[in-house]
Amino acid sequence: MGFFSVVANGLSMGCIYGLIALGLTLIFGIMKIINFAQGALLMLSMMISYWLWVATGLSPYILVVIVAPVMFVVGYVSERFLIKPVLDAQKDVREPVSVLLLTAAFAIVLENLCLMVFGADYVMAKTSFSTQTLALGSVTVSAARFYGLLIALVVAAVFYMFLKYTQTGRNLRATGQDRNAASLMGIDITKTYAIAFGIGTALLAVAAVALIPFYYVHPSVGAVFMTKAFIVVVLGGLGSVPGAILGGVIIGLIESIAAQYMTATLTAMLVYAVFLVVLFIKPTGIFGSPYEW
Amino acid sequence: MSFKNKRYLGLLLALVMMLSLVAGCGGGGTEKAAVKEIKMGTILPLSGSAAPLGKIGQQARDMAIEEINAAGGIKSMDGAQLKMVYADSKGDPATGVSEAERLITQEEVKLITGCYQSGVAMPSTEVAERYQIPYFVDVPSEDKITERGFKYIFRLAEKTSWRNKAQTEFITEMSKKYNTPIKTVGLIYENTAWGQGAVANWEKFLPAAGYQIVMKEPYPANSSDLTPVVLKAKQLNPDVIMMVSYVSDAALLTKTFAEQKVTPKAFIGTSGGFADPTYYNLAGDACENFFDISTWEPDVNRPNSKETNEKFKQKYGYAMNAEAVKAYVGMYVIADTLERAGSTDPEKLRAAFAATDLKSGPAQMYASETKFDETGQMVNAPIVICQYQKVNGKMERITVYPQAEARPGSQIVWPYPGVK
Repeated sequence: MGFFSVVANGLSMGCIYGLIALGLTLIFGIMKIINFAQGALLMLSMMISYWLWVATGLSPYILVVIVAPVMFVVGYVSERFLIKPVLDAQKDVREPVSVLLLTAAFAIVLENLCLMVFGADYVMAKTSFSTQTLALGSVTVSAARFYGLLIALVVAAVFYMFLKYTQTGRNLRATGQDRNAASLMGIDITKTYAIAFGIGTALLAVAAVALIPFYYVHPSVGAVFMTKAFIVVVLGGLGSVPGAILGGVIIGLIESIAAQYMTATLTAMLVYAVFLVVLFIKPTGIFGSPYEW
Repeated sequence: MSFKNKRYLGLLLALVMMLSLVAGCGGGGTEKAAVKEIKMGTILPLSGSAAPLGKIGQQARDMAIEEINAAGGIKSMDGAQLKMVYADSKGDPATGVSEAERLITQEEVKLITGCYQSGVAMPSTEVAERYQIPYFVDVPSEDKITERGFKYIFRLAEKTSWRNKAQTEFITEMSKKYNTPIKTVGLIYENTAWGQGAVANWEKFLPAAGYQIVMKEPYPANSSDLTPVVLKAKQLNPDVIMMVSYVSDAALLTKTFAEQKVTPKAFIGTSGGFADPTYYNLAGDACENFFDISTWEPDVNRPNSKETNEKFKQKYGYAMNAEAVKAYVGMYVIADTLERAGSTDPEKLRAAFAATDLKSGPAQMYASETKFDETGQMVNAPIVICQYQKVNGKMERITVYPQAEARPGSQIVWPYPGVK
């Protein structure tokens, strides 16, 4: 019985890791950019969600209708005015490293801005269901985490359909497969890139509202999830939507189950060990293939 | 000396003459025209991540020095005034060492105090020992500081291991008092030097007191999820859970314990994150009935405690903490020492420190009797245990142990009743 609680917790945390990694995998899959600002943008989303929650007192989940569009605009604008100029300058460079450095710098700027604006205090949204637990027989799981799991699964499914069946989705995938060919087919690459970055950032807003009922917000909180998101994405396969969720679940389960048999310090190492093994056996990750899109 | 300099010197002399004339007119020609100053140095983290901690230490010292000087300074030395020179260690051991050198050789201070971090205290006390300048360690608690055979080092703070020992004694006393047999203990701690140090002490004291350690769980302080650790504790079900944590992890643990309805006989924290005001803002009601250990609490039942804290609050806008109290009381211990030494000669100061037996005055807010053993360690460094309880709907830290220092009228909640 205790074991099922452990699995339930691993699943719910894992899905949330996956949700955080979705944006990262999208941005990489389409723009071939490794976005080091992902953690900082998640932190910014959490900050905005938290302060909106304080101001309005509405359920954090409802606030997504404000936070997600706001973060989409933040992503869209920062792509247009920060990333695009650097990408253009490195158009003929095979590996655009400058963009990677730019996103890292962007992360530092965002973290320090938030430190200035919101202060260094740890805060947490104490909602009515924050300390509630759901009990299925003898399995107990935190309500907030369980809702997080549902949100992650629904969002991943919707996002997958969006990529598969809408025109914008098709544009995104085509651009990801071959930027030049897509351009020749009449797809506006500039706009597609900005949309990809915007959606990648908006997905973080969803993760943020799922997190704040049970996780603290602090300008450094991005770093806690950042490394995990990278492992999840590479494990599941860079650019793959189901891969991100599956990778997240694997990491969540390892963390949760292994911790019952060894110390939490060792578990943190085990996650990296599994990660290394997968890279050795299948370097492209579980769902990874260059033509996934 | 050039002609130009001579002219300035002349001007300066004239100015001094005029000023002394004015002073003579106003003061009625008292003998105390030039009050002697005793220059001391303090090393604190005044910048960097620990800067707020350094600042409150500086304010506590300033308040004590102001009071001592206003009350007539050191009387055995013609009312000499205390003067403190602050040096910034940035919380960095190497900077602490060079600042100690600078204070001694350039500022020529007669005595050094400080320095918040044990890591800075260890090497900077070595400098003072080499120059044979007394170093009064008021806050750092690392055991080794006074265990190196140094002659010029005196420590007001308790040793780290004393806290872990006191926690063990507390468990024994409570299990007897409330007739709840305790057999097993679980240790959950952040996995750096701090947590490991505490565990090394617990492994010494707990089995000696007859407790079996059934769980030893180190975790990285920046873990994204501590539920696995909590679920493990739920499975192993120890009678008492003891923790060493920073702020965010302490709050995560506390909340998750409440979620998973883990109910040992007691949860006992080891200061750090559990003592931080942010902790109970984050953890909310989940921290109710958790125990924590410290050396001073605003509600502790000691003479001068409330008054001094009130004055500090008025002056600086926030309450004192245990470290500020040690810094404040330290100044009075130093004043008492200077008074008895009647000189700033290092040898006489050292002898006076060693002979300290302070049983009155503002130092009472820390300990009823301040004296040092032959290693320079304060013998009676106090330790109190407090419990998070709700008073009129508001969560407060209530000093509950030892009985003599407990908040009057307070009640210990034991065993842990679970979350309501």
